[in-house]
Amino acid sequence: MQYMVKVFTLISLIPFIILSFKGFGFFSGLGANPIETIIHETGQWGIRTLIVTLLITPIGHYMRHELYKKLPKPLGLVSLFYILIHFLSYALIDQGGDIKVIIVDIIETPYLIVGWAGFLCLLSVGLISFKKLQSWFNKNRSTISGIIYTAAVLGVWHYYWQTKVIELEPVLLAILMILLTGWKFKTSKNKS
Amino acid sequence: MSIKKSNTIKSYEITSESIYLERRKLIKSMSVASAMIPWGMTLSQSTKDDSYIPAYKRNSIYSTSEPKNSFEDITTYNNFYEFGMGKSDPYRNSANFEPAPWNVKISGEANKTGIYNIDDLIDSNALEERVYRLRCVEAWSMVIPWIGIPLGNIIKKLEPNSKAKYVAFETVYRPSEMPGQKKRILNWPYIEALTMAEAMNPLTLIAVGLYGQDLLNQSGAPMRLVVPWKYGFKSIKSINKIHFQESKPKTSWNISASNEYGFYANVNPQVDHPRWSQSRERRIGNGFFGAKQPTLMFNGYQDEVAHLYQGMNLRKYF
Repeated sequence: MQYMVKVFTLISLIPFIILSFKGFGFFSGLGANPIETIIHETGQWGIRTLIVTLLITPIGHYMRHELYKKLPKPLGLVSLFYILIHFLSYALIDQGGDIKVIIVDIIETPYLIVGWAGFLCLLSVGLISFKKLQSWFNKNRSTISGIIYTAAVLGVWHYYWQTKVIELEPVLLAILMILLTGWKFKTSKNKS
Repeated sequence: MSIKKSNTIKSYEITSESIYLERRKLIKSMSVASAMIPWGMTLSQSTKDDSYIPAYKRNSIYSTSEPKNSFEDITTYNNFYEFGMGKSDPYRNSANFEPAPWNVKISGEANKTGIYNIDDLIDSNALEERVYRLRCVEAWSMVIPWIGIPLGNIIKKLEPNSKAKYVAFETVYRPSEMPGQKKRILNWPYIEALTMAEAMNPLTLIAVGLYGQDLLNQSGAPMRLVVPWKYGFKSIKSINKIHFQESKPKTSWNISASNEYGFYANVNPQVDHPRWSQSRERRIGNGFFGAKQPTLMFNGYQDEVAHLYQGMNLRKYF
């Protein structure tokens, strides 16, 4: 079981490994606008991994496989890892780490406000899982999954909002989020 | 009668041009061109005799002295949705496009309408190199050494009549060669337009090349518009129709999102895109840690074009 968890976690890190190789000039490199490539790819893989993380629970529930209990946490952390690079490369490199510039940019760019909020949600959950707050974590599971769902909804919204024309992927992710949220409400009702 | 006679001198013909032009020899341009060609293609390309660029002169008056972007950056980082939406899609997906032979249909309010071969429209002896800034609506920019002729020279030949207030351009529609056109990303074929005054401005160029060689497919071969004081999407690529008309044409991005992309689309750091700031831009090629730079009014071409918009509310007519 533990071995399967490691395999899936490693798979989720493949895009990061490829991106690192691109950084060293392999696979035709990062292109003419390297910082944009890093921001876009880490953002995309962050939201993809997060939604896969959320999909594991309903899929595992119907397949009655034990893996679904172990996998969400490491995958969720991989997602946070991508989003952390996404955010830091925007803040420190694209905006040169200038807090005033970043604040003005976020105010002028509505999809950044949404992205920020989603990032803070994900970060807060990530910090909880690192600290020795396991008992608190276990007591407040529904609150925490609520925050993760909020992060995912905001992330998809952020992705959809910055595209110039309607693109397939953010629409698909939005549909998945609607289905997931529906399932979440249905199962939490059954429990109570 | 005297009123009628004054009509024979069109307003666009009044603009006088005194440009210092440096003559370049054919052999020199060919050596520049062959130096730019990727490995393995040197022979076939340098002996190619159907190039649109036999020779060109440098126009220093209208050229910026800022460092030029590399040929690689210019030809691998493009927005040309006809070949896909990724920045490297045009470079990857445009190999099957056939830019020759090329005809352009001229129609609407002009005396000389009909189908023209590109060689009849573009006087290859009058080609100039102009190093222009290009500012994309997505807040990145480049510096590109275009080769072309002023659009005004072509328009004069076509003799538009007094009803011609706008000139509209269309990109060729070839879904079999342009895979992006198989999806309804935009309303194909792509359409862009200028007012006659904008079209006749000496800065407005029809380009057939860059860095001394013919345009590559991803750059809008074989002929494209270059309007350096407007956001890049106005500079329509692979043009095969030019239409003169009295009413304001519907343009592609304006149809797609009229609140975000106006007809004028002049570069303006004070008027933000509804979803992002236009006050700064990332100059491509400035390195991984290169800072963004402030965007200039009319992309720095204020002296040449500001008079076209005098008294206009640029927030309303964005």
